[in-house]
Amino acid sequence: MGTVIVSGLAIGMVYAAVALVYNVMYSTSKVLSVTTGHIAMLGGVFGAYIIAALGLHWIVGLVGAIVVGAVFGWLTEVLAIRRVLARSDEHLWLLSTLALATIVQHAVALWWGTEPKPFPRLIPQDFSAGVMDQKFWLPVGCAAVMALGLELFYRRTMYGKVFMAMSEDAFAARARGISTDRIRLVSYVLSGALGGLAGFAAGQLTFAFFALGHALTLSGFIALAVGGLGSNVGALIGGAALGLLSAFASYWFGGEYQQTVAVGLLMVVLLVKPEGLLGARNVRPV
Amino acid sequence: MTTTVPASKIAGLVFGALLIATLPIWAGDQYQLHLAALIAVYWILIAGLNLVVGFTGQLSIGHVGLLSIGAYGFAILAGKAGWSPYAAMLASGALGGVCGLLLGLPSLRLPGFYFAMATMAFAMIVNELVMANPDLTGGGVGLPGPLFPAPFGTPTGFYYLVAGMAALVTWLTWNIARRMWGRAFISIRDNPVAAQAVGVPVLRAKLAAFVFSGVSAGVAGAVFASLQSYITPDTFVFELSLFFFVCIIIGGRGSLIGPLIGTAALTALPELVAPLAKLGNLFYGVLLLLVVLVVPEGIGRVFEIVGERLRPREVHREPVSPDLPRLARALKERA
Amino acid sequence: MFRLTKVVARLSAAVALAASAFAAQAADPIKVGWLSSLSGPLSSAALAENEGVKFAVDEINKAGGLNGRPIELLTRDTAGDPTKAVNFAQQLAFSEKVHFIIGPVNSGEGLAAAPIIARAGIPNLVIGAVDELIDPAKYPRAFRVINTNRQWISTANDYALNTLKKRKVAVIGDTSGYGTSSAKTATELLKAAGIEPVYSVLIDPNKTDLTDEMNKARAAGADVVMPWSAATGLLGRLLNARGDMGWKVPVVGHPALMASQIRKLLNKPDYWEEAYAAGYQSTTFRPDGKLPEPTQALVDKIRPKLGNGELDILFWWVAMGYDTVKLIEHAVKTAGGTDPAKIQAALENTRNFRGVYATYTWGPKERNGFPDSNMAVNAANTFKDGSFKLAPR
Repeated sequence: MGTVIVSGLAIGMVYAAVALVYNVMYSTSKVLSVTTGHIAMLGGVFGAYIIAALGLHWIVGLVGAIVVGAVFGWLTEVLAIRRVLARSDEHLWLLSTLALATIVQHAVALWWGTEPKPFPRLIPQDFSAGVMDQKFWLPVGCAAVMALGLELFYRRTMYGKVFMAMSEDAFAARARGISTDRIRLVSYVLSGALGGLAGFAAGQLTFAFFALGHALTLSGFIALAVGGLGSNVGALIGGAALGLLSAFASYWFGGEYQQTVAVGLLMVVLLVKPEGLLGARNVRPV
Repeated sequence: MTTTVPASKIAGLVFGALLIATLPIWAGDQYQLHLAALIAVYWILIAGLNLVVGFTGQLSIGHVGLLSIGAYGFAILAGKAGWSPYAAMLASGALGGVCGLLLGLPSLRLPGFYFAMATMAFAMIVNELVMANPDLTGGGVGLPGPLFPAPFGTPTGFYYLVAGMAALVTWLTWNIARRMWGRAFISIRDNPVAAQAVGVPVLRAKLAAFVFSGVSAGVAGAVFASLQSYITPDTFVFELSLFFFVCIIIGGRGSLIGPLIGTAALTALPELVAPLAKLGNLFYGVLLLLVVLVVPEGIGRVFEIVGERLRPREVHREPVSPDLPRLARALKERA
Repeated sequence: MFRLTKVVARLSAAVALAASAFAAQAADPIKVGWLSSLSGPLSSAALAENEGVKFAVDEINKAGGLNGRPIELLTRDTAGDPTKAVNFAQQLAFSEKVHFIIGPVNSGEGLAAAPIIARAGIPNLVIGAVDELIDPAKYPRAFRVINTNRQWISTANDYALNTLKKRKVAVIGDTSGYGTSSAKTATELLKAAGIEPVYSVLIDPNKTDLTDEMNKARAAGADVVMPWSAATGLLGRLLNARGDMGWKVPVVGHPALMASQIRKLLNKPDYWEEAYAAGYQSTTFRPDGKLPEPTQALVDKIRPKLGNGELDILFWWVAMGYDTVKLIEHAVKTAGGTDPAKIQAALENTRNFRGVYATYTWGPKERNGFPDSNMAVNAANTFKDGSFKLAPR
């Protein structure tokens, strides 16, 4: 029973980390990018590549994963978001991010292969550690650090306050002299870096596997929707809820209905409280 | 309000229709006939999906789930339960419609990204349910797809069946798109708030489009199962949904001919260009990205632009030539 | 657009013809279609089989062709997609009008392509393991070269029950198509032997940790764990869970347990101990440390084509690909041509044809050619150069 709770919590925190990445992207651009899960996938794959294939120290792998994530975030903004937001059509960004996500997923499949590859051990630890194994606690720690870091970022730093200003009212922010385009780029780079870190921390749990992209996009989104768009604490709660629910469902009923359970959770929350548990009621002037 | 259709466009359509009707005669062999039938089957689904994605602007990326439901429904009813294939096909369509209703009711209220994710999750759930009930669906092994009785049992006969059904669906969607419902859909896509203000029943219209697309997807699934002669869960992957989606976007949202040409081109392309079989999905992603960034209105627009360049419309020039001497005299008089 | 395909096909056929006839006269080539999932899932098996097929075709063509006619190999990459498999099967059968079709590799693709190939009446050498691929009545010209899934399962069951003398079996499948049907067959065969599994579960191939399932199996008192999944990620995690828990239970199951990718996924190399899988006598080292002569001969011949180093793939894939082409050679020589009915008769009457991978026997009502006597149980951690040692008896 202990392992069920711990493994559910661990994978839930991976989802929570992805939800945090969604939040950062959403705050400045009001865009939910399909590429979010793929950033984490890239973090895991490149971390494994740098440490295992290139044989470098894991700190280099960590930095490498963060850099790759940041570059991909930058690419997402430049390719898929910038030109598209300029047009008034609301849903083109969904198409462009979906296209970019597909490109990345299949490019990685062609390069890395379609089999899951091992993610190396980061901290020397005996394998019989059971529930204290680092593959469970690394994602939990990573998500906690990310959430804490983001809170400090938003409250204490100038850039954080600028992000919050943009998320409340982009036009007003621009009127006050904030370069919204540049800030948006910075937020995507930051979210990419965070995603890469999340994928790296989760690597031992998920193995380096190209198909994680879509799975994490969907699950991270469910965590986000359950917890509430825009709330970091909500992201943590939503992720934990989803992870634990999936783990208990497959423990009691077997793994056949995993997706159904996850989406069931999503549908229930959306029907009862559409903006999520801790989300803000979306009042839009018309 | 009708716009005059140029004679060249009508001639082109008639010629295309003639080509399609006589295809079994001039197609090289059974393989090309099979390919044409596959395009027709895909088009039955895509024509319905076009109403949802192209006209109403609801980005559904999970329609492969409805295709799967239609295909398995047909295979189970016509195969295991021994129904007549025609009855099974109609039942698949109805089943697709019902599932479209069940999916659409909770999801269509949600904003764009939420809706897309809900449809993606729906496709995954359908796959899970298929695998989890092997006694009904054959599980991983799959089910054979029954053939239609004569005269549609032969490849040529079957081609005419699906081509006829595709023509029917095209006619239906064309009529819907031209008239009141079509305009309601377009208004919902372009500005839902204004549409609601004018009195368009937004949710009901979205649901109607979605259920229609469910019915067409169910019917498409039925003939797909018969065409493939064997269905397994491996066929109904997310990438197929993406393929349908890309056909519509590339063809141009809001038009019928565009997605039709898009479907034909994208189905035939991996067959002609061998490396594309491996790089297929990468290619679709790149194509989608290019189209969204460069010509969001679809490739049809590219042809229009090129057409304009080659044969520019006549612009009546009314040069303004002021009578300068008279102006000079008038100014001199004042001075 | 359609006409162009034909022109291109004719041109490429002409070029291939010119290129492939060395000492052979410019005779009518024997066209062999090869449906292979060279990219996508299970591509590692397909790539290895491809090497075997190509090597055999080159070998025959260099020796003057088959009955003086060169073999023309038309490879089509189906990428694991049944729709593409159907399309390419149609293309090979009706457009290219091939004389034989080898494959497809994946069972899902095979199930979809078999009716089409049967309708065209083209002899088909089947290399998928799922039982439903073979039916002497529905698919009279489909002859299976690989062993059947049942042969894998009953070999493993026999080892677990009769050699290791275990009675309490935990059956683990995955939620994919192959996993669910294999787990079902495994349970059936166990029940036929009088054993009721103490624990049975289907696991999502991407589930990150299998400690719960292994704990439940241990709690149910299992003394042998039998996984029937081709997903290397799942099998790796299963062995890891067993090792991390410190549970000394033998694992007997699907050949994928022996794949070299598993070794890299293990937390410690000794987690591969006491893992046994169904394998073949033809790729097993005998007690004197040598492989059977035909296998060793092929390994030596083909090693330069595989990178000239130690082999990292399962050699039986290569040997099987090689054998399919040799079987085509045998069939054409026996039938004196490529007439499909005569080929069917020739293959039906094949008795004990010696290949590298196995010795094949078919019959008028029997389309599974792989002998039970070639099955063996190997120990996973004895992998060396593509083959294994026998599991301890």
